[in-house]
Amino acid sequence: MSKKLSMQQRYAALTRDLDWTPDYVDPAKVFPLTSFEGIKVHDWSAWSDPFRLTVDTYHKYQAEKDKRLYAVIDGFAQGQGHLSLSDAQYLNAMKLFIQGVTPLEYAAHRHFAQLARHFDGPGPRFAALCQSIDELRHTQTEVHTLSQYNKYYGGMHSNWKMFDRVWYLSVPKSYFEDAMSAGPFESLIAISFSFEYLLTNLLFVPFMSGASFNGDLPSMTFGFSAQSDESRHMTLGLEAIKFLLEQDEANVPIIQAWIDKWFWRGYRLVALIAQMIDYMLPKKVMSWKESFELYFEEQMLNGLFKDLEFYGIRPPMHVQQAIEEKEILSHQVAWTLYQFSFAAGFNTTVPDEEHQAWLREQYPDTFDKLFAPQWAKAKKIQEEGGRFFFQGLPQLCQVCQVPMLFTEVGDPETICQRQVVYEDERYDFCSDGCQWVFEREPEKYVQAWLPVHQIYQGVCGGPSVPEVLAWYGLQEGDSGEYIGSLDHKDWLAWHATAPVGS
Amino acid sequence: MEYELRQQVIEPRRHTFQHLIDRYGDKPASRYEEGSIDVQPTENFHYRPLWDPEHELYDETYSALRLDDPYTYRDPRQYYYATYVTARAGLHDAFGKTVDYLGQRDLLSRMPQEWQKLLGDLVLPLRHYESGGQLLSVNGARFAYGTTVEQCLTYAAFDRIGNAQMLSRVGITLGEGTAELLVSAKKSWIENPALQGLRRLIEELLVEQDWAVQTIGLDLADRMLYPLLYQHLDEAALLGGAGAYSLVGQHFGTWFTDHRRWLDALITAWLNDPVHADNNRRELDAIVARWLPQAQAAVADLADAVDALVDAGAKDAVARSTAELTATLTGAGLTVGGKA
Repeated sequence: MSKKLSMQQRYAALTRDLDWTPDYVDPAKVFPLTSFEGIKVHDWSAWSDPFRLTVDTYHKYQAEKDKRLYAVIDGFAQGQGHLSLSDAQYLNAMKLFIQGVTPLEYAAHRHFAQLARHFDGPGPRFAALCQSIDELRHTQTEVHTLSQYNKYYGGMHSNWKMFDRVWYLSVPKSYFEDAMSAGPFESLIAISFSFEYLLTNLLFVPFMSGASFNGDLPSMTFGFSAQSDESRHMTLGLEAIKFLLEQDEANVPIIQAWIDKWFWRGYRLVALIAQMIDYMLPKKVMSWKESFELYFEEQMLNGLFKDLEFYGIRPPMHVQQAIEEKEILSHQVAWTLYQFSFAAGFNTTVPDEEHQAWLREQYPDTFDKLFAPQWAKAKKIQEEGGRFFFQGLPQLCQVCQVPMLFTEVGDPETICQRQVVYEDERYDFCSDGCQWVFEREPEKYVQAWLPVHQIYQGVCGGPSVPEVLAWYGLQEGDSGEYIGSLDHKDWLAWHATAPVGS
Repeated sequence: MEYELRQQVIEPRRHTFQHLIDRYGDKPASRYEEGSIDVQPTENFHYRPLWDPEHELYDETYSALRLDDPYTYRDPRQYYYATYVTARAGLHDAFGKTVDYLGQRDLLSRMPQEWQKLLGDLVLPLRHYESGGQLLSVNGARFAYGTTVEQCLTYAAFDRIGNAQMLSRVGITLGEGTAELLVSAKKSWIENPALQGLRRLIEELLVEQDWAVQTIGLDLADRMLYPLLYQHLDEAALLGGAGAYSLVGQHFGTWFTDHRRWLDALITAWLNDPVHADNNRRELDAIVARWLPQAQAAVADLADAVDALVDAGAKDAVARSTAELTATLTGAGLTVGGKA
């Protein structure tokens, strides 16, 4: 008689033991995607399950979590909870979230379905299957959480269409499509490791912390509710990289190059978050600089990468530039969005005195010297009844698709511009990092759907700004200056009859 | 009597998202609608997939079966994530109670020998069939066009691994906490002639490129396999003194009834599409012509082995369910075996 199963053996029996090697068809045809990237896996059974969750416990936990979350959402909506937010301006952050982050959850849902089909090993396949369905959860709970704000405020009503069309949203869209269109191993490093592990505290968490500081109880509850899912996704990312590094030494340089690429791609994506943390939250959580120092320099560079040294992995290329930029990044991006918000799905305004005092305190070396004068100039124009908007459309980086707003390292007053000629066409880049990414795979990045190029080609609703904005699905009040906007006027009117918190 | 609670009344600017207003008018939408309709990206893709440069990342032509507007299709169960996991938490909770009860009272090992053998040699190996079903379904979760369709396939994929785990737990319980029966069941899946038809079917479907072919091919087999194992044999088990089999089988029967609802609705949507109906009909005819005979033969092989153990009239039952399935398909307007 054999021995009773231990918990670990029982888990293996319920998951990876379901696998068998096909012989009525060629097994290589069943799993055709795992050979072309040059990654060598000798033993899929060496995959150590990053978490152990059977289907029955999964359903039980998740159903309980959702029951609690939806109770909060319903209660908040019934009590007109939106009136007790710190300020209507806070919702600009959540507009960015539902436009630019929620669609990434959906992309992850679809993408992990592909990984759940295509890895040869049943261990990672099951982990990917769980992540795929989790990401669908996040897509839908985020929509349901923000649905109540959509009824009373602008900018959220057409989030899916905007994700496909609007210029600054091509930053997250192209980022994720870059990963989805790559092979299964690269995309695993891109999303599970770089996005979910390396950058998640800079990318996802700031929104949820912002929610908790600004009275957004439903989003905060969503954040807590997603935490146990996210921790599974993070452990998957860590297991994935260790597993691939341990399988074969020849994998190391391939993975190093992916870490280099996906750090830089992800870092440019979080530029949008940097400005959100510093400029969009009425009640501040922490500055971008502080967040970068804690979550990236301390936890990743001095923590994770020390562990990865053992495998021959070094910190990502171009990381020094990111460190140099921490004093200026959020301000440069916020200033750009201020000038182009006539074509955005959120409102911007000049930070008020109290806000500027906080920025000064957080950025003693750069704010007064470089950025306060810009805001003073903008404020003066507003006081004289005008509003400073950039006339025209920004030039976008061919790789990250952020407007070319970044400056040379060590020279924060000179815009960085890099150019490459490829097959007789000129391509522009915001940085050495993006140029390097392009040069590895020019045939991929020349395909990019650059929103500004597309506008000039006349395929975005028409040649004029109003036509483009209509094609974006933007409605009255969604864009431009916050002071005097529809959201601002409504907020004042609602609170004229009912003071905040009553 | 009711008391009067005063609330601040604020007229909303809109009642739901604009894409739902465009479709259904400005009225409150359900959570199913807000979480499903128009969610998938449809345009302005940046890069062609390295693994399939002929297609966009989301592309209607991943399948020969098309819907002009994928959101004319809606899951009749209206499952979104929260309602789905809640429904399945109930299913697995009930199943867990059954298995615990069977284990406490040794009811599985007190079944007649031939029923134990049937369960161990012929039903338990189908956990691998379910696992294959998961791979087939999750491919559709990635490549189907439109969130309402792929969402059903996502839940189906997760259901399949759930079913595989339910069967495995039966095996562990019958094996008194050991993996012994799971090991022999896997051997049976690989070697037992009675199961090779099903294994070949799954493996051949796995190398099909079109997710709809995979989905319907699996469904055709399911529609003979599930009635055999969990309706016909359920009755036979009660008559044969194997009530424990029936206690297990009820949960799979419950699942299958729920599962098939979205598939029937999808087939109906394909056959009634304003643009693609004729083409869809031809494609479905071709899928049925290609896969139904193979699926029928595979389930019949299993039925022969069942009859050899318990003489339950399984072969006749398969013949009847094949006839019923054929009638249903022709009733829907398909041509089966030359008959419309």
